[in-house]
Amino acid sequence: MATSGSVPTTPLLKDELDIVIPTIRNLDFLEMWRPFFQPYHLIIVQDGDPTRTIHVPEGFDYELYNRNDINRILGPKASCISFKDSACRCFGYMVSKKKYIYTIDDDCFVAKDPSGKQINALEQHIKNLLCPSTPFFFNTLYDPYREGADFVRGYPFSLREGAKTAISHGLWMNIPDYDAPTQMVKPLERNTRYVDAVMTIPKGTLFPMCGMNLAFDRELIGPAMYFGLMGDGQPIGRYDDMWAGWCMKVICDHLGLGVKTGLPYIWHSKASNPFVNLKKEYKGIFWQEEIIPFFQASTLSKEHDTVQKCYNELAKQVKENLGKLDPYFVKLADAMVTWIEAWDELNPTASASTATAATNGPAKK
Amino acid sequence: MSVPITPALKDELDIVIPTIRNLDFLEMWRPFFQQYHLIIVQDGDPTKTINVPEGFDYELYNRNDINRILGPKASCISFKDSACRCFGYMVSKKKYIYTIDDDCFVAKDPTGKDINALEQHIKNLLCPSTPNFFNTLYDPYREGADFVRGYPFSMREGIKTAVSHGLWLNIPDYDAPTQMVKPRERNSRYVDAVMTIPKGTLFPMCGMNLAFDRELIGPAMYFGLMGDGQPIGRYDDMWAGWCVKVICDHLGLGVKTGLPYIWHSKASNPFVNLRKEYKGIFWQEEIIPFFQAVVLPKDCTTVQKCYLYLSEQVKEKLGPIDPYFTKLADAMVTWIDAWDQINSTGTGAKLPNGAANGKA
Repeated sequence: MATSGSVPTTPLLKDELDIVIPTIRNLDFLEMWRPFFQPYHLIIVQDGDPTRTIHVPEGFDYELYNRNDINRILGPKASCISFKDSACRCFGYMVSKKKYIYTIDDDCFVAKDPSGKQINALEQHIKNLLCPSTPFFFNTLYDPYREGADFVRGYPFSLREGAKTAISHGLWMNIPDYDAPTQMVKPLERNTRYVDAVMTIPKGTLFPMCGMNLAFDRELIGPAMYFGLMGDGQPIGRYDDMWAGWCMKVICDHLGLGVKTGLPYIWHSKASNPFVNLKKEYKGIFWQEEIIPFFQASTLSKEHDTVQKCYNELAKQVKENLGKLDPYFVKLADAMVTWIEAWDELNPTASASTATAATNGPAKK
Repeated sequence: MSVPITPALKDELDIVIPTIRNLDFLEMWRPFFQQYHLIIVQDGDPTKTINVPEGFDYELYNRNDINRILGPKASCISFKDSACRCFGYMVSKKKYIYTIDDDCFVAKDPTGKDINALEQHIKNLLCPSTPNFFNTLYDPYREGADFVRGYPFSMREGIKTAVSHGLWLNIPDYDAPTQMVKPRERNSRYVDAVMTIPKGTLFPMCGMNLAFDRELIGPAMYFGLMGDGQPIGRYDDMWAGWCVKVICDHLGLGVKTGLPYIWHSKASNPFVNLRKEYKGIFWQEEIIPFFQAVVLPKDCTTVQKCYLYLSEQVKEKLGPIDPYFTKLADAMVTWIDAWDQINSTGTGAKLPNGAANGKA
């Protein structure tokens, strides 16, 4: 594995990875990322007013979709894609043709490591995805495949090949990803601790997946990365990535795929308004107390041997078990099914022709 | 942070050190350890005199003492293996134990400051664990951190911490094959995190730099039958760790790993290690699934009950692999008998100290 050094002449996975960015404001943040992102193809998902023009900095190769494009491409199925919420980003996952996705928020910038060097977050995510995970047994020296580390004494040898990595979950310096109550209680807290580790989240353990700095193997887990119904017309917000993360983890555990968390860090610059956040999260604060036990208890069987089958089964269970909590979950379960239908339509299996590939939005370079 | 005038838990924690060589390493630890009571477990030749540096308050037990105190039950305590340290856990009267190897020294953090490992372990033990849901910012109770968005509020009280598992800079704790393949590898990565090992997940527990709440989990900290007359070695702490984790998961107790680091100075001989570990390399392939699958019944509500149930399961399920496991299962029962005897309530059962009980 290459040591972290200068940006390689041919960036890893240059033609195999898309960077998906939801935005409602602007893409100025891309300037700082240019040295690391420019070789890659971008998929911009423009939220909010479709008549507004989002300017993409010169020199980037991209496709851009606004709400009109989403409606045109998906037709009635567009109902599963959120509006006025960054959850709409998952449309970008669906239309991508690449094996890997990296998604980042437009208020996330390049961080520095403790030596003062700029962190190439994308490069680290790629390293994480390309090397195995170890979900079945905890390694006390964290990622055993990292340079200078290994499996420790007592780690079963038969488990040292690891499992394929589906997700690489990065973290954030500066403004931490706190919920509204915590933001209100600790408005001054900043994350200044650089934890130099990548680790696998063990099988059977759920976690709060943040979509701000996230990469995944679209071929392994893409259909499970639906970010739910949030924003306009919905009773909840700021649970999009959480929802995707819980579904994804249950499915990864079932299919024997790995989920990593830790490095890389990005610099999160913008603290969202805690009052606005509280309104969005309010119902979620209560609902998550039921949602978590639901996911912890959810089981999938041998017949659920693809991500889509797992996901459809989960949708059924959501309707059955969470539907009584609130009608929202019935709507969400239906949207989950719609998402899979849309995914399969836009991503037919290899034997089908490419004629059904989505037409790109008008603003394509 | 300077050493406080009254160190935390000064009268509530014993430091247990197994040794067969000498205790020179204690000099470096003096600023951090001197205020605490030491329990030295002298392995090997009991006629050898182990010199304890001046100024430490300690009790010392050699093999003769162990035999005298436990009688026939002494059979459960290993000989010629640092596994004998668990005798120290048994005879301690304190709430907390810190155990450390005699080739472990004070490490420095990235700023160059000496790490007070004991202080960090105490912090870890005194604050809750979070085994039921993973926090992506690691220990939420640490200064400058908290639970992240999406972490259920009902789980933010956390649960009691039973074990604090520290790590090692310099010589990493590798098995023999890895040592042979990578003889020059040194752990130079300081990972500034403490985290809870999630419920349902096993891990390799290393006894080099380990602290635990003896009242919460002590009886499960049996380090097995190793060394002289045994077919296996270097699986003592591993065995204890797997038993401990299964029981902690069952009883709702937390296990933390990460900080503090110590500096591990001595690389053991990989050829010797391979001989010791050889059978274990194959056996652990069966042992791990055993521990992953074991389910403790609801009526196992104490550590002892859990442990005795485990010993039955070991005999039943692992006995067929090798007669060693039958012996080990019996030793597990003997250990609990001895533990309960030595730690029976009522002051009459106070243990006579080893011959070399000293205080400066």
